[in-house]
Amino acid sequence: MGTTASQLGKDLLSEYQELTFLTKQEILLAHKRFSELLAKEERSLPSPRVPMEKILSLPELKSNPFKKRICHVFSTSDPKDGSLTFEDFLDLLSAFSDSATLEIKSHYAFRIFDFDDDGTLDGRDLEKLVNCLTGETEDTRLTSEEMRQLIGNILEESDIDKDGTVNLSEFQHVISRSPDFVSSFKIVL
Amino acid sequence: MELCELQRQGSAGGNSYHGAQQSIRLQSMSSASNQNGPLFNWASSPTEGSEDESRPLKVLRGQPLPMRLKRALREVQQMRVPLVTDWQSWKRSKAKSVSRFRTDANVALYSTALWRKTLLKIGGQFGGGVQSYFLFLRFLVVLNFLSFFLIAGFVLIPSIVFKTTSPSNITADSNGTNLIGSDWSTEDCTAYDPNPQGLVIFYQYFLDLLSGTGFMEYSYVFYGYYNNTVAESSGFHYNLPLAYLLTCVFYFAFCLVCIIARMGSALRVAVATGSGAVGSYSKIVFTGWDYGCHGDQATKLKQKNIHYQLQLDLEEQRLQNKAASLTLGQTVGLYSLRVFLMVISITLIGVAFFCIFRSTAFSQEKVGETGLLGLIWEYLPSIVITAGNFVVPLLCDQIALFEKYSPSTTIIIALFRSVFLRMVSLGVLLFSLWSKITCFEDKQVCLLCQYNHEDYPCWETRVGQEMYKLTLFDFLINVAMLILVEFPRRLLVDHWSCALTRWVGRQEFLVPYNVLGLVYGQAVVWTGALFCPLLPLINTLKFFILFYCKKVTLFSNCRPAVKTFRSTTSTIFFLVVLLFGWGLALVALIYSLAQMHPSMSCGPFRSLTTMWRIVPDTFYTLSQTTQDFLFYMGSQAFSIPLFIFSCVVLCYVTALASVYGRSVDLLKAELKMAGRDKQFLVKQIEKLSRTMGVLTRDQEDMYDTGAPN
Repeated sequence: MGTTASQLGKDLLSEYQELTFLTKQEILLAHKRFSELLAKEERSLPSPRVPMEKILSLPELKSNPFKKRICHVFSTSDPKDGSLTFEDFLDLLSAFSDSATLEIKSHYAFRIFDFDDDGTLDGRDLEKLVNCLTGETEDTRLTSEEMRQLIGNILEESDIDKDGTVNLSEFQHVISRSPDFVSSFKIVL
Repeated sequence: MELCELQRQGSAGGNSYHGAQQSIRLQSMSSASNQNGPLFNWASSPTEGSEDESRPLKVLRGQPLPMRLKRALREVQQMRVPLVTDWQSWKRSKAKSVSRFRTDANVALYSTALWRKTLLKIGGQFGGGVQSYFLFLRFLVVLNFLSFFLIAGFVLIPSIVFKTTSPSNITADSNGTNLIGSDWSTEDCTAYDPNPQGLVIFYQYFLDLLSGTGFMEYSYVFYGYYNNTVAESSGFHYNLPLAYLLTCVFYFAFCLVCIIARMGSALRVAVATGSGAVGSYSKIVFTGWDYGCHGDQATKLKQKNIHYQLQLDLEEQRLQNKAASLTLGQTVGLYSLRVFLMVISITLIGVAFFCIFRSTAFSQEKVGETGLLGLIWEYLPSIVITAGNFVVPLLCDQIALFEKYSPSTTIIIALFRSVFLRMVSLGVLLFSLWSKITCFEDKQVCLLCQYNHEDYPCWETRVGQEMYKLTLFDFLINVAMLILVEFPRRLLVDHWSCALTRWVGRQEFLVPYNVLGLVYGQAVVWTGALFCPLLPLINTLKFFILFYCKKVTLFSNCRPAVKTFRSTTSTIFFLVVLLFGWGLALVALIYSLAQMHPSMSCGPFRSLTTMWRIVPDTFYTLSQTTQDFLFYMGSQAFSIPLFIFSCVVLCYVTALASVYGRSVDLLKAELKMAGRDKQFLVKQIEKLSRTMGVLTRDQEDMYDTGAPN
C-alpha cells in the first residue's frame, strides 16, 4: 500500500498514527517533503522509492555524519542501496521523533553505529564511530595513541561480559544512564 | 501462506538482531514461540492482563520493525477478535479516547510553550549548555509572572478597591493595645511626608523613576502606600495587613515549590543514572552526537566540540595517572601552594565585602542630595557591587591558573567563588542597611521609636527603593554592556585585524557567569518583595527584555564555545544556586518580620510592634473551637506521631532504594556470567566443529576417489 497522488487518505493517516510515534501534522509534513523529493511522474506510482542521494539532500540530513548509515538502516530495499519508500521515511522519522521511547531509539542507534552489520560493536566499529564524531579530516582526528586509549576506556566501561565487543544490551545499559540521549537523538522536519 | 512469507521476511531482515530482540520483548510474552519467526510473539493476545487498551498500541509502535511488518502484526491482532463483555469494550474505548486526548493536549501544550522555536534554534547552533541558560531564564520569567498574579490578587487589587470605594469600609487600626506605652509621644514617629514640595523640575521625574523617590515613593510600588485597612461589610471581612503578610509568606513557599518541582525531574534522572563520572567516555561517544544539528557549520562545530571534549578527558586521565605518581615532596608543595592561593582569593573577597559595606554607609550618609551627583551617591552601592562582581572573579581566574586543578574542578571552584561573592555581597548590603535602620552603633537615635525615625521615617520604603535600584541598575548595566562593549568588540574584530584583535577574538557566551547574574537578580527580587510588592512584575519585564537582548548578542556577537557545559547537571546546579539566593532572602524576610519594628508612619503594620504580631492578634479573634483545633495541631500530641510516621515512610523508601540497587548489581553479575557461559560454549562449538570438520574431510576424501556423478 502506498501513497496516492498528493493526498493521504484518512484511513491511511490514522493507520500511520497508530503504527508510528508521529502526530497527524508531522505525518502530513513528512508526506509533503517526501513528495517534493520525487520527480513529477513518480508521484502517481503506488509505492515510489527515492534513491539515497536525494534523501541525503534533505537539509536535516545533509551534514549529519551518520547520514549514509541512517539510510541503510531504515531502507527495506533488496539491493541494500539505501533508498527509502515513504513508509521507510516514516519509520525513520518515528524513531527520531519526540515521543519515541528510549528502547526504540537505542535499538536504532545501535544499528546505525554497527558499521559492519554484524550485531555487535567491535573495535573497528568504534574507531569508525569516533572518526565520524570528530570529523574525517586530518587535523580533527584523534591520534592513533589517543584512539587506542579511548577505545580501551570505552570497552572497559561498557563491555560487561568482557568479550571485546559491545552488544545491544550493554549498549542500552550505557544509554539508559545518559539523560540527554532522548533529547539529542531527534530529527524534526 | 502470507504469514509464512512475512515470517521469512522478518527473519531475513532481522537475523543478526534476533538474539538482541530478547531485551526489547515485553516480559509477559512467552519466549516459546521464538523459532525463526519474526521479532514479535504471534501467540500473544491483546487481552492478556487487565491493563488499559493502549498497551497493544504501544507495543506496535515500539517495535523496531519496518512499516510492512507492523501493519501485518496489526492485522493479525485485529483478526483475533477477543471475547469481551460490553463493559470491557466500553472501558477500552474510553481509555483509548482518554489517551488520545492526553496526547493531543500534550502536543497543544508543547507547541504553545513560550519561545519554543527560538530555544530549539539556540540549542541547535550553540549546544545544550547555552540552551539551558535560556531555559532557566524562561523559567524565571514565568515564575515572576505567576507570582505577580498572586500578589496582585490578594494585595494590590483589594488595596486599590479599598482606597477608591466609599467609607463603608472601616479603616481601623488593628488592636491598638500594641502601642509601646502611653508616656512616649508618638508624634515624631508618625511624621512622614513623601510628597514632593513646591515646584518640581521636569527632569526630576526621570531621576525619580530611576531611584524610586518622588512621585514613585508614595505609590502602589512601595510598601508605604498601603494602609492597614480592615474592611468589613455585610458578611465580607478582609484584613489587608494579614493578607499582605500571608501573601508574602505564600509567595516564598510558592517559589520554593516551583524550584523543587523543577529540580525533582532533573534530579530523578541524575540519581537513577548514578554519578556522571563513571562511563563518561562511552557516554560521550554513544550519546554525544546531537542529531538536531543543521548545516555544515554547526556540524563542524559540534565535531570540534566532541574532539575537544575527548581530548580533554583523555588528557585529564593522563594527568591523574601522573598525579598519582607524584612524590611526597611534590604533593606537599602542591597542596601548600593551593592553600596559599585559596587564602589570597578569600582575602580578595573580604576586601570586596569591606568596600561594599563602606560604600553603603557612605551612600546612606549622603542621602537627600539632588541632581546627577545625588543620583551617583544613591547608586554607589550598586556600582561597587557590580564592579566587585566583575573584578574579583577575573582575578580569581588568574589565580586558578596556578592552582593546577583538573579543568572540570577549576570551573566548579570558580563558580562557587563567584556565587559566594555575589550572594554574600547582597547580604552585606542588607546587613549595612539593617544596622543603620536599627542603630547598631548609635543607640541614642533609636530610643524613641525602636528604629531610626529621623533618617528613615518609613524605612520599609527605603529598603524597597534600594532593591528597586539594584534591579534597575543590573538591567541597565546589561543593556549598556551589550551596546557599549559587545557590539563594538565584534565590529572591531571583524573589520580590523591586528594581533590584539586576533588574540581577543569574538566573545564567547559564558553560561555560568550569565546564570549567576540571573540568580542574583532573582535573589534581589525575593528580598525586596515584602517592601516593594510590584517588584516581581518589574522583574518579569526586565527578564523578558533581557531574553531578547541576550538572544541578539548571542546570534550576532558570539562564537560558539569550544568548551561545553553538560546540560542536565548544569540545570541542577543552576537551581541549587537559586535556592541559595532563596535561602538568603528567607533569612532577610524572617528577620524583618520577627525582629524589626515596623515604621509607625506608613504601611499596613504601622500600629504593631513587629509585623508578625498581626497573626497572633487575628488568631485570638477566631472562634474557640478553631483555636483549640489549631493548638492541638501544634502540640506534641499531634506532631510526635506525625514525626514517627514520616520516619517510617523514609525508612520504607530507603529500603526500596537499596533493594533496587542490589538487584541492579545482581543483574550485572548475571550478565557477566551469561557472557562467560557464552564464551565457553562458543569455544566448545569450535572444538567440536574442528573435530567434525576433520572427520567429514576424511569422508569426502573417501568419496572423491570415486567417479563424479
